[in-house]
Amino acid sequence: MSRTDAVTRILFEAFSAAEVRLFYVLGYAAIAVFCWGFYVQVRKYRRGAALALEGGVWGRLGAMVSSVLSHRTIDRRDPAAGGAHRLIFYGFMLLFAGTATITLEYDILEPLFGIRFWHGEFYLVFSLVLDVAGVALIGGLLYMMYRRGWLRLPKLDYARPDRVPGDPDFNRPQYRREDWAFLWILLIIGCTGYLLEAARLVWLADRPDVWDTRWWSPVGAAAAEGLRALGLGESGAGLLRHGLWWFHGLIALVLIALIPYTKVKHIFTSAASLMVRDPLAAQRLPRVPDSQEQVGAAKITDFNWKQLLNLDACTKCGRCHEACPARAVGAPLSPRDVILSLREFAHATLESATLPAAAELDIHGKAPGQVAMETLWSCRTCMACVEICPVAVEHIPIIVQMRRKLVEDGAMDPLLTKTLQTIHKTGNSFGESKRKRSAWTKGLPFPVKDARKEPVDVLWFVGDYASFDPRNQKVSQIFASLLHEAGVDFGILHDGESNAGNDVRRVGEEGLYEVLAAANVNALASASFKSIVTTDPHSFNTIRNEYPDFGGKYEIEHYTTLAKRLFTEGRLRVANPLKYRVTFHDPCHLGRFNKGYDAPRELLALLGCELVEMGRCKANSFCCGAGGGRIWIPDPVGSEKPAQNRMKEAAAIPGLEVYVVSCPKDLTMFEDALKTTGNEGKFAVKELIELIREAIPAHLPEEVTA
Amino acid sequence: MKILVAVKQVAALDEDFEIRADGRGVDPDFLIRDLNEWDDFSLEEAVKIKEASSGPVEVVAVSIGPDEVDESLRKCLAKGADRAIRIWDDAVEGSDSIAIARLLAAAAGREAPDMLFAGVQSSDQSFASTGIAAAALLGWAHAAVVSSLTYAPGAKTAIFRRELEGGLLQEIEIQCPAVLTIQLGINTPRYASLRSIKQAAAKPIEVLTPADIGVGDGDVGEAGSLSRVRRMYVPDKGRAQLIEGSAAQQAARLAEIIREFKGAAP
Repeated sequence: MSRTDAVTRILFEAFSAAEVRLFYVLGYAAIAVFCWGFYVQVRKYRRGAALALEGGVWGRLGAMVSSVLSHRTIDRRDPAAGGAHRLIFYGFMLLFAGTATITLEYDILEPLFGIRFWHGEFYLVFSLVLDVAGVALIGGLLYMMYRRGWLRLPKLDYARPDRVPGDPDFNRPQYRREDWAFLWILLIIGCTGYLLEAARLVWLADRPDVWDTRWWSPVGAAAAEGLRALGLGESGAGLLRHGLWWFHGLIALVLIALIPYTKVKHIFTSAASLMVRDPLAAQRLPRVPDSQEQVGAAKITDFNWKQLLNLDACTKCGRCHEACPARAVGAPLSPRDVILSLREFAHATLESATLPAAAELDIHGKAPGQVAMETLWSCRTCMACVEICPVAVEHIPIIVQMRRKLVEDGAMDPLLTKTLQTIHKTGNSFGESKRKRSAWTKGLPFPVKDARKEPVDVLWFVGDYASFDPRNQKVSQIFASLLHEAGVDFGILHDGESNAGNDVRRVGEEGLYEVLAAANVNALASASFKSIVTTDPHSFNTIRNEYPDFGGKYEIEHYTTLAKRLFTEGRLRVANPLKYRVTFHDPCHLGRFNKGYDAPRELLALLGCELVEMGRCKANSFCCGAGGGRIWIPDPVGSEKPAQNRMKEAAAIPGLEVYVVSCPKDLTMFEDALKTTGNEGKFAVKELIELIREAIPAHLPEEVTA
Repeated sequence: MKILVAVKQVAALDEDFEIRADGRGVDPDFLIRDLNEWDDFSLEEAVKIKEASSGPVEVVAVSIGPDEVDESLRKCLAKGADRAIRIWDDAVEGSDSIAIARLLAAAAGREAPDMLFAGVQSSDQSFASTGIAAAALLGWAHAAVVSSLTYAPGAKTAIFRRELEGGLLQEIEIQCPAVLTIQLGINTPRYASLRSIKQAAAKPIEVLTPADIGVGDGDVGEAGSLSRVRRMYVPDKGRAQLIEGSAAQQAARLAEIIREFKGAAP
């Protein structure tokens, strides 16, 4: 064993043959335990519903590797945690690779082919690299401990908004214990690694191939000097090295064995989750095949294997918990806890050898692991959770699929039931006659073309709120005037338009959504146009991302990009620059959903406004609370509404004059919140369209009225 | 055990409707059709009884009307009715509520249910007579405006409550089979998702003519009715007028009107 002729890694030196055999037995046992756990996990995922992924495996692999290596997703909104994780990740990976390379040479290449490379300069350089990797690992771990122990970040508090103190799963102290155990076990492995190295150096101090090259392991060498200064002799060091070797080795083997059974498995599940990410998870919800008898998720096995994998990918980082607008206003929902509940449920039911009876797989309810309907109905489907998740957990399709089941059972707010019936009957959520849909155009000094009767360049899909809500009708009239003045050849579908269905689908009424989508696709097919524009981000999203699944493929844009183009082409000109100090609220469905962050800001700059961003802007914009059908469900009396929470944020901007929105529902929600938060008169809520009108007063035609 | 539920597809007026050329009804183009609101409750009551029963209970929805009524019947099937019957031929057009009751009674005679539920009234015609008239034709016990019900399928009697004026409740025991007309609010009707309505297409809707159930052409339609609609119209607008403007302007205008009424000089 001993090679004094070359500088190399000291392995089993001074071990008896029995000890070496014992180590191999333990090593194989650890691997066997790991493999069994791995198999149980895979079997669990395979008990989910089938799913065919779109796209090639290599592209997915590349995207995953790039996300993992760059730590891009982990850095977002928490660069300190990202940095610390990067240290741990690279430290651990290098140390693991180092150990694996030793195994490769010692157990495979050398015995089989006589190939040796683990010596000389290669060994020394590797030794240096691994020493540095150990420092990175320990540094990262210490920061994470500091973060958990001292910073006490609210997002790392496992207390649940959907449970009350005293419930068995209220704050899940077992998670906390596991977090700390994971950090400590890694820290102990790292530290004992250095100590072991130091003891080995002291023990073999008389061997020049070991001692003279010790500074290639700087941390170990320094520790060795320390041990010697403490009076440790060669024989003592030999004993210490022997003990530490076993201690370090056993802990490492235990860690390997436990990977599939503990949070350590995230190194596999999170990576796999990133690899199967759907970039349109929230924008385009899954269809229900006609052949499928059951609609929605009632049992844990109704989720597909990818969703079950998503549950295990969660690292409890709390970013979704922090971003969720429902959670922020005290609603009984945290996207994190929906995922963790279902994970616990899947763990309890799907990991046994035989699948339990269907009755035991019911995920709806209030027992541990189940999700309550109040929780599901609290969701605004604003996508804040999906957008920020560093490991590509897709909460929204999970929540909507569970809501589909609630809708089938009629387990929803009576007002929502009424609204869905109204939409079915009249095609709009206002319960108005179809004939009245274009009544707002009657106040205009020019007729608005019917795109079903004469061809137009631009078809304007108006949407319910912009058509029927009196406040938004005024905005629609202004936008029509602007298009008219800019010479845009546009038309609408008049009474042929139905509710676009975006929110109906997010409520979970998939059957009604299918009816609405089919009605609109038919109406659009009867019209002649080149492209679609809409002022409503909700309609924009579903037409752009979901109608293609229903046979409707169109070129569609939000009005902000069209308006910007009209300015750059000189068809609209700012005559009266506005000197307002404004802030801009990114609508969920324009911003996060469709990345339309720039056009509204460029328009504000063109208009001469001074834009002051709110803390939560662009991808981190804070939902007004109207999404996911919540505009049809009253908020509990007495609790803060998301829109009010947002108004307070805006009110903190010194000298704010206008809170600019670009979504009809936002206008409704925030004008209301402006009043209820007592900010009326301090600043105004305006549609960007209204600001454009103000900046082009020269064109102002005779007073337009409803 | 069987419960027969009489349902009707009612018409609601659309915005700016027009009267039919013959002046006896609204132009069908301006009507929005839906299941009668009361029938939602009577069907729900029957389905709840079925769900609470240990023995088998069949809930059968029956309606009198043309093809388009199938849409409402499918809603009933989606909500839990086991099957549906629709009775129609062109001769039925123009029937008054008693002639409709004749068809309903004939259907009940054929089905021999343990109970016949109907809504208190229909929201478009509001005669509130069809269910009760059917009871008379069948010679069954009957009660109107039932607001709560205790009934075990197959029992010889049922106990129900009715709300009377002055907050008084009346509790009645009734012999079965009986005809009960059900009041709004007796339960919470369930939501029929569009998907379940679509799936209900697999459940049968039996289409019968009056002749199939032994009702002659002379007993339905205008021929079989003792009343007929003469005309339908919107009465001339009343004299109410809205005063617009600021509070001061409104007050001034109001004072002016009062002076005009009193005959004083403006």
